[in-house]
Amino acid sequence: MKLRLSPQTILVLAEFLQSPQDWKYGYEISRNTSLKSGTLYPILMRLAERKLFETSWETAEIGKPPRHLYRLTPDGKQFAREHRLSRSMGRLGHAALSGAKS
Amino acid sequence: MPAIRRLAVRLLRAVLRHSSAGNQEWANAMLRELDFIENDWAALFWALGSATAIFRHSGRGLKAWFGNKPGRREERMNNIGKRAVGVASGVVIAGALVVCAFGLLLLTAYLFPSLGLDHLEWTHWLAVIVIPEAIFIIAVVRLWRKRGPLAIGIILSAVVLAVHFAIHVATH
Repeated sequence: MKLRLSPQTILVLAEFLQSPQDWKYGYEISRNTSLKSGTLYPILMRLAERKLFETSWETAEIGKPPRHLYRLTPDGKQFAREHRLSRSMGRLGHAALSGAKS
Repeated sequence: MPAIRRLAVRLLRAVLRHSSAGNQEWANAMLRELDFIENDWAALFWALGSATAIFRHSGRGLKAWFGNKPGRREERMNNIGKRAVGVASGVVIAGALVVCAFGLLLLTAYLFPSLGLDHLEWTHWLAVIVIPEAIFIIAVVRLWRKRGPLAIGIILSAVVLAVHFAIHVATH
């Protein structure tokens, strides 16, 4: 499977690997990874296109708009783990990203 | 609602309205997230980034739609063109070498008439046939893997030269 594993993609996958069973919100991922929406969403779109992510709409509570949720699929988890996206790789991604920013 | 946040909402609503069916879910997701961003400026930047993301994704789709098949055809055409240019270059280089060799022979005969090269037929053969053909063979062996079309052009020229030489010998 051809997927460009940029430091930002690694960062996103690492963020999901921290709690692989949990659904996450877009803004929550953005805050945790410090990625802007213009960077984050293309990554989410690509990963979802490749069936590495599944998306869902949160059940709306009264007075609250529903939110889009994201979670790793079993394939996504395997992909992330195969690419050694463990805690150490997450750190590497952070380092690469901070290096790119500076 | 502050003007900045209103602008962000309007922007994402416009994106949602104009985005393709495939992107609408994403545009909607981005719009929904806007309600959970406390800072108005952050909301505006979120909207700008989201609009860019949708725009880029749409661009990718259009590129795939318009670009893929003609791209492959164009690539194939380019490859054929490159090979043709390679073969033509081989022919031109080989021809230039023969012309240079023949010119050098004539020049030597002109500058040093005492050598009597005009009367020594083997010097003609050596200069115009043997040496160039040897150079062609070496060049083809060296170039065959890396620059196949160029090597083919040189082979063609070598064959033409050899046939010409054979005809010349047969008729004279």
